[in-house]
Amino acid sequence: MASREMELSGLPQTGDPPRGPLSAILGRLIDPFRRGAPPEPRPPTGFFTDTTVCIGCKACEVACKAWNELAADGFHWSGNSYDNTETLSATSWRHVKFIEQFPADHSPSQPVPEAPKPSGTGFSLDVLLNETKEGRWLMMSDVCKHCVTAPCQQACPTGAIIHTEFENVFIQPDICNGCSSCIAACPFGVITRSNVDGHSHKCTLCYDRQRDGLVPACAKACPTQSIQFGPIDELRERAHSRVEELHSRGVTDAYLYGDTPSKSYSELNSFYLLVDRPSVYGLPNNPFNPWLHMKGDYVRAIVSGLTAIAALVTVLFLLGS
Amino acid sequence: MSGLGTSFGFGAASNHPRDLANSDCILVMGSNMAESHPVGFHWPVQAQQRGSVLIHVDPRYTRTSAVADVFVKIRPGTDIAFLGGIIRYIFENERYFKEYVVHYTNAATLIADEYRHEEDAGLFAGFNPSTGSYDLIPGAWEYMCEPRPDGARGLPRTDPTLQNPVCVLQILERHYARYTPQAVSRVCGCRPEDVIKVAELLCRNSGRERTSAIAYALGWTQHSTGSQMIRAAAIIQLLLGNVGRPGGGVLALRGHACIQGATDIPVLFDMLPGYLPQPRAVLGHATLAQYLSNGKSYLARRGDVPNGLWQEDVVRGAWSDMPKFTISLLKAWYGEGATQENDYRYAWLPKIDEDLSEMSYFVKMHQGHIRGTFLMGQNPAAGGPNARLHRDALRRLDWLVIRDFFETESASFWYADPEVTDPKAIPTEVFLLPAASVVEKDGSFTNTERMIQWHDRAVLPPGDCRSDSWFAYDLGKRLKALYSDSIRERDAPLRHLTWDYDGGDLGIEGEPDTEKVLREINGYHLGERRQLRGPAELASDGSTACGCWLYCGIFPEERTNRARSKGNQLRGTSVYGEWAWTWPENRRILYNRASADPQGRPWSERKKLIWWDEAAQRWTGHDVPDFEIDKAPGYRPSADAQGMAAIAGDAPFRMHPDGRGWLYVPYGLKDGPLPVFYEPLESPFLNTLVRQQSDPLTVVPADPMNPIVPPGDPDYPLIATTYRLTEHYLSGPMSRFDSWLGELQPEMFVEISPELGGERGVANGDWVVVSTPRGEIEARALVTPRLKPVIVDGRPAHTVGMPIHWGYAGETVGAIVNDLSPLSLDPNADIHSAKSFVCQLRPGRLQHLSPPTPLPIAPIPTTEAPIPDTPAAAQPAGRFRHGQ
Amino acid sequence: MQTDSGLQTSLTLPSPSQGEGRVRGSSYATGPVTKAPAWHGLVAWDMLFNGMTTGLFLVAAISELVAPDVFTSVAKAAYPVALALLLVDLLYLVLDLGDPLRFHHMLRVFKPSSPMSLGTWCLTIYSLPLTVAAAISLLPAGWITLESVRRLAVVIGLLPALGSAVYKGVLLSTSSQLGWKDARWLGGYLTNSALILGCAEMFVLSVLMGHVRAAAILRPALGLLLVLNLIPLCLLLADLRTTLLRIYTHWELYGVGALSLGGGMLIPLCLLLVVDSSLFMLGAVMCILLGSLVIRFVIVKLPHASA
Repeated sequence: MASREMELSGLPQTGDPPRGPLSAILGRLIDPFRRGAPPEPRPPTGFFTDTTVCIGCKACEVACKAWNELAADGFHWSGNSYDNTETLSATSWRHVKFIEQFPADHSPSQPVPEAPKPSGTGFSLDVLLNETKEGRWLMMSDVCKHCVTAPCQQACPTGAIIHTEFENVFIQPDICNGCSSCIAACPFGVITRSNVDGHSHKCTLCYDRQRDGLVPACAKACPTQSIQFGPIDELRERAHSRVEELHSRGVTDAYLYGDTPSKSYSELNSFYLLVDRPSVYGLPNNPFNPWLHMKGDYVRAIVSGLTAIAALVTVLFLLGS
Repeated sequence: MSGLGTSFGFGAASNHPRDLANSDCILVMGSNMAESHPVGFHWPVQAQQRGSVLIHVDPRYTRTSAVADVFVKIRPGTDIAFLGGIIRYIFENERYFKEYVVHYTNAATLIADEYRHEEDAGLFAGFNPSTGSYDLIPGAWEYMCEPRPDGARGLPRTDPTLQNPVCVLQILERHYARYTPQAVSRVCGCRPEDVIKVAELLCRNSGRERTSAIAYALGWTQHSTGSQMIRAAAIIQLLLGNVGRPGGGVLALRGHACIQGATDIPVLFDMLPGYLPQPRAVLGHATLAQYLSNGKSYLARRGDVPNGLWQEDVVRGAWSDMPKFTISLLKAWYGEGATQENDYRYAWLPKIDEDLSEMSYFVKMHQGHIRGTFLMGQNPAAGGPNARLHRDALRRLDWLVIRDFFETESASFWYADPEVTDPKAIPTEVFLLPAASVVEKDGSFTNTERMIQWHDRAVLPPGDCRSDSWFAYDLGKRLKALYSDSIRERDAPLRHLTWDYDGGDLGIEGEPDTEKVLREINGYHLGERRQLRGPAELASDGSTACGCWLYCGIFPEERTNRARSKGNQLRGTSVYGEWAWTWPENRRILYNRASADPQGRPWSERKKLIWWDEAAQRWTGHDVPDFEIDKAPGYRPSADAQGMAAIAGDAPFRMHPDGRGWLYVPYGLKDGPLPVFYEPLESPFLNTLVRQQSDPLTVVPADPMNPIVPPGDPDYPLIATTYRLTEHYLSGPMSRFDSWLGELQPEMFVEISPELGGERGVANGDWVVVSTPRGEIEARALVTPRLKPVIVDGRPAHTVGMPIHWGYAGETVGAIVNDLSPLSLDPNADIHSAKSFVCQLRPGRLQHLSPPTPLPIAPIPTTEAPIPDTPAAAQPAGRFRHGQ
Repeated sequence: MQTDSGLQTSLTLPSPSQGEGRVRGSSYATGPVTKAPAWHGLVAWDMLFNGMTTGLFLVAAISELVAPDVFTSVAKAAYPVALALLLVDLLYLVLDLGDPLRFHHMLRVFKPSSPMSLGTWCLTIYSLPLTVAAAISLLPAGWITLESVRRLAVVIGLLPALGSAVYKGVLLSTSSQLGWKDARWLGGYLTNSALILGCAEMFVLSVLMGHVRAAAILRPALGLLLVLNLIPLCLLLADLRTTLLRIYTHWELYGVGALSLGGGMLIPLCLLLVVDSSLFMLGAVMCILLGSLVIRFVIVKLPHASA
């Protein structure tokens, strides 16, 4: 409730002390290497996004931008249903996708018979009441998946990307130097480097709000509670019962994406309830953690190098003596 | 509003959005609730989670349809046919809630012989072809009443067995007999089974144990038959026994944050606060006594007659207190000087002698009859139907005062309109005054659930921005000063107007104390110098003043503003009685007497709301009873009882003289007591249900810029419908100056089906020109199967869907869709037909107009300076800059 | 649809029955899901210079250690060149960062599980003994202690140099990018290629300095390495086959193949083996460099090429 927000605004605020130019330069050199005490680990949190109740209102996109003061990405009409955001970016950390699925036949609905027939004949009421709705418009709010084992975090050479005490993946904006290893590593295409400051940005799972006991902006704004926030085990339980409920109602396509680890990828702390293949939503069908290949690749590289070195040594030895 | 008001008594939503979570079945029709009321849509989704069925009936497959369990596509404007099909199903299968219908509706009432519906013609008795209205038989449509010995009208005659062929139920059944599923399918384009499906779902989820709700919005009101569409829904809900019950009722989803308040305390030309009629310049309103004795429904009479059933309001029911409401209002306005001797200054109220609704006065403006206009938070240059006419009208003004926070289309019409070639040629002097936004002022909102919530300002307005209350108050003070020396009688009202609201926030000089305004609206006792605690304390002897009788009780004591209440105790399943305040008298669900049976017991445990406590001899329950608290269920009035005493203990609809819900409306609607399917004013199809093509009482202002297309015109074979998107708001001033919203929908587009696209050679993203006799626009085409055409009368009914949000002012600009729509007024509520008219479409672009120029996108964040008192690590994450 | 490298998953996907037969399928299903990092020409040049500096150092070091009397003088000329190449390489790396002024943040953590971090540290550590070796090499000949210090530095630098050569390819293949993620032999190829470049540079230095014996030994060595390079190259091409076929037309592929294989290997091979003229030798080395650059450009461009 807004009561917590009102409480917080009453707390004492502090600012940074002023700095001269020399101090600023030294600060830039030294501050990144400072280490503080790590925060107490807290119960892991995350998102459960139930796409079956998403109404595509994009309140999540706007709330995220409003809270984080992210600039607009520019005006570009895509012609792709109602999705004009098109992709996650350094200034769009939430992106609502729209997928229209309608029967392929272009013939209009069946014509009405000429002579009026008495009503109630020719079909079964039970069949009528239980028929599935023709056509679907799938909507899904895409966001960073906050993977429990995150390739971006594994790739980051500056240590900017960390798992917070809430087990969310967070890019420390004062550390990142824009090397883009994380961008190369992310299998979901989440992170983007900004042209304004050269650093990589993505959803922070409102780390600043969580630390003050608030709910992330997108979850708070979502009017139908498609985006649910909370302790991750609670969310998983809720998600499982929701899938069961949907199955019992005849929505047999419903399943969870990312709630359990697969052989090639860890669980996601931001997981989804979907009703079609992941690729339909622009998600990888079988996400793969690139680090599974790393050891082998090193071995191959070193062996290659050593082989060349061995060949060289042989020649030198044979011809050099 | 007229639809609900005549059916139930109040022209407002009967239930609140949260209550939809209690519904077992929700029919969303004439509304795209998920897109237009996304926050309120939380409740239908909650209902679904609990197992309820959500049905969406609409011409387009929208974001609401995506979530709904059942979706039925119908042709725009054919809602009455579909609803008529449901009503017929209810009768055919006898699914109406008999006990409810007999006791709580006028089903048993007999109708006088002058009722005659020419079934095939689609007209009612008394139609006068030369005047185009029903004034030939003034007494037509009325109840058959018992004659009294003195010749006066007695009580209506009833047949509780419902067998008499002229009882309302029988008339209703005969009237809707022709709306067979096949006939409906032929008109609407849906399958015949679809009518049966929706009807069956509603019937199964109504009755003692279950309730269904119907939610509608501008998809119904913005038609020439809008009021009758709502009437049809009201009939269904009364037949199924859903009105006044939790999870039931008709939810009118109003389209603005405070639109309910804007009609409660109106600036509408034809209403005084509390839905009292604005007096007309007719003999019947010459004096206060005549005004009061003729009653609220005097203007509903058809033909110039002194007597009629419409006078019942004066004698029986809650409107018999109209003298108290009116006199208290006059005391509030004219203070101590308003006395019985001078008719409480009734003579100072303006008397209307012509149609001065928004569209009509813009037509007058266009014809040069209006010199100047104030536009406050209104943008008719883009939002008015037939917007080209509106803009042309603005160009005829001598002066225009416009208050808004951005330079909207209406403020910049004289130079930014692409049609304007020479701004110097436009004589209008435009004064653009900056307005304070909602967070910069104190005040209240009255939303769709009749709830008044107070809110305090969060920041001071910047610069010269001022709130509308500051402006109106200051304008009033200046006018009073200007005319203070005048001796003319016509200036007396201004000089004597009570106008003291000083004491507002000291941060703004001259800011009125808006709580003073609310105190006055609540009303006070002049002699005892105290606030009134409720409308029961209103008097007609001049001892009380009250700005709006509906709001009486919101400010019961000097320091108790109940609009500020934040109690969060839940009663029942949806009533938060201590959160803010709803009118009337904090009743959350109207007509809730109907939630108990005629003996006062709840219909079922599951759906209990209020009930009669025999021991305490009063009504009690989860909600404030919308009934006299101590009136026993068994109370039966005597034959000459008057006022509220004439309302029986089992008559929930106390605003009606018979206390019953009106399945059949004997007076109050100009175009008929029962809904008939008429085609929209402009339609490519001819009416196959009745001979009368369209509503004969639709008003079409005559103006050369407002040509109407005759039905079936082959030059305009496509149906045009206009609507909102979630991402923008109305004609755009609130959203197209905001890049966060602009980037979500950055361009104007029209939605067409792949079938129409194939026919016209339009691919997704191509430019198209849409034209009507009123104007032409160009836009990108979004080709989508969601607008697949339905088959009507054997041929496809292609619909062109157009969002209304664009104009030439803002960061994102585009065509003004209202350039295409016609100016017409529905007979009962003066609303235009934006939801179905006709158009033509071709690929290409407009050659003669240069596209409008958008504003540059304002930077975000708006300031380089960091947020004060905040460390760098805690600044908003988006404030990133190089080299930091 | 993305291809995976064959590992099974436990995810049960819905049957495609609902999805098929629909008109307007999702546009999200076409095209890669991932985003390509903004690594363009600068990175290709970086890869080349990385190979050149590490390869040169390794070849110089090994040749000096195996046959010191032949190669010491060439090696001493090589180390300053390697240092110069390294500095250019580091410059490219820094400039390629989104925020170059924060390049020192790379040294904030030592994270061997991140190829980028390992590479940064390897390069940093490699630079130190290389600087020592280069500095001592530039001093006028003399003092034995300095010589042994130099030798020690060279030995110390061997492992970091190898690490620096190895990391780049592994960095690219340990990613989710189109093409790279399938290139198991990318690291192998680039390391191997680095040694070829180093050998070629050593060879050029020997020719230019007039060390006939060194040149005579390095010439067949280079030829042998060129031929042996076919193995990791073919393995790499096998990895990249489907991706290349998807994003390039046949003619484009032939053109690239001609440039890289033909120009980068066959021609220099011919030039090396057939004609015995320093001009041709230099020409051969230029071809090798050019071919290597072309291949690196192709590799860098893989994720950016539209599907």
